[in-house]
Amino acid sequence: MAIAAVDPSSTDITPLIQHPVLWACAAGVFAVIILQSVIYFRAIRKAAPAVGLSPAQVTGSVRSGAVAAIGPSLAVALIAVSLLPLFGTPAVLARIGLVGSAAFDVAAAGISAGTQGAELGGPTYTQKIFALAFAAMTIGGLAWMLSALILTPILSKGDAKLRKVNPAVMAIVPTAALLGAFFTLAFTEVLKSPAHLVTMLASAAAMAVCLILAHRLRLSWLREWGLGFSIVVALAAAYFMTAA
Amino acid sequence: MSTTTSADTAAGLSAFDRTTSIWGPITLALGLLISLAAALYAAFGSGMGITPVELVTAVVAVLATFGVIAIIEPISYFPILGRSAMYQAFLIGNIANKLLPAAVVAQANLGERPGTRRAELIAGSAIIGAVLIHITTLTIFVGILGTWLVGMLPAPLIATARGYILPAVFGAVVLQSVMAMRSRRTTIVAVIVAAVLVFVVVPLVPSLTFYATALAVVITIALSWFTRSKTPPSVVGTAPAEASPPHISEPTR
Repeated sequence: MAIAAVDPSSTDITPLIQHPVLWACAAGVFAVIILQSVIYFRAIRKAAPAVGLSPAQVTGSVRSGAVAAIGPSLAVALIAVSLLPLFGTPAVLARIGLVGSAAFDVAAAGISAGTQGAELGGPTYTQKIFALAFAAMTIGGLAWMLSALILTPILSKGDAKLRKVNPAVMAIVPTAALLGAFFTLAFTEVLKSPAHLVTMLASAAAMAVCLILAHRLRLSWLREWGLGFSIVVALAAAYFMTAA
Repeated sequence: MSTTTSADTAAGLSAFDRTTSIWGPITLALGLLISLAAALYAAFGSGMGITPVELVTAVVAVLATFGVIAIIEPISYFPILGRSAMYQAFLIGNIANKLLPAAVVAQANLGERPGTRRAELIAGSAIIGAVLIHITTLTIFVGILGTWLVGMLPAPLIATARGYILPAVFGAVVLQSVMAMRSRRTTIVAVIVAAVLVFVVVPLVPSLTFYATALAVVITIALSWFTRSKTPPSVVGTAPAEASPPHISEPTR
């Protein structure tokens, strides 16, 4: 057992970050997500005819989602690999890869290490600091799950009422929410540096080319792969911008 | 599209709502409990000598920074995802960079806008597809090959991916969303609101940084509502036929 090597003040964090209990929890999170997906897939397939979706369209949507996720998933995997020395495989799999996100978890880990006057990596990053940072980023992340658990039923009650009162609300609200959120996220990135701006423009341009080609040449697969191509083109642009 | 009576539709959807309103919360709560167990074990079970006060201090510091976002995000994403997909999204994570784009692509392929029951089922399917890929890539590249890859990948490549993944995703997704939504008015409103918030308001009031997305969502919804086209009598359940520009994302299936 790795327990023998556990030492709060040791800067060799390997025994703790690879601890069997953390591995078991990471596996548990994976299992729950797979269970949920199976239950949802069966429910969706059953309900699909009621809203005029054919089985082929359901399968097609699963495929579209899968293909669209290839680019982001590889990117997340790449980021996750780069964080392995800092947090270890089970924590990275469960927190950075699933459930959480690199941006939140790394920030949260940094903040909680700071409450002990320590920094991630380096001579102050002991087993104890890792344990504290991991616990704090995980519990912090639970706030999202908890508020989703509590707020979703409340919001759907309001939503059902709105639909009855005014159907036009439900036509405008989701579109406005989606576009408002994406434009804000995008503009926030643009401000960070000229390279960020160029990366985003390259990504948009690549997507435009994909959409135009998909339309002109009737290549519907290109629309699905567009996001993946755009990410590769944009990251290549970013790489050459920053390397130059 | 199959022809179904409204009774069939109601029955089919109420079965779906029953399943998701039971199993959605159960699976999300299970994920929560397992994560909590891991956190408590790391803090107290691993012999690190962490005191409850130290843990609370660290958690409070994290929540002071992110707590409000944790409440705002579910509210912001609800209108886009719909009830059933909320439980998927907040169990799986990586929502803005992966799950929303996947849902948007799938909805665009079938010519559906978010907000309808049909769109909800398409989003659910797309998220399942995204999960399949995500779990597979994580298992292979991080779980199995991860430690080996750490030594193999050139550092600049990792740095580029870490630093520029968000603009790389958003450039394409924003364009695709605009094409798929086909709503010129709402697009213009969203661009103006987001630009004013990000380029003017946040630089003036930096404490609003973490609320920018939520503010944008709320203000865009309000302004889109008040500036909506009121002239054509709207077809039940669909948007008024706004003057949509010639678009290139015509659904082919």
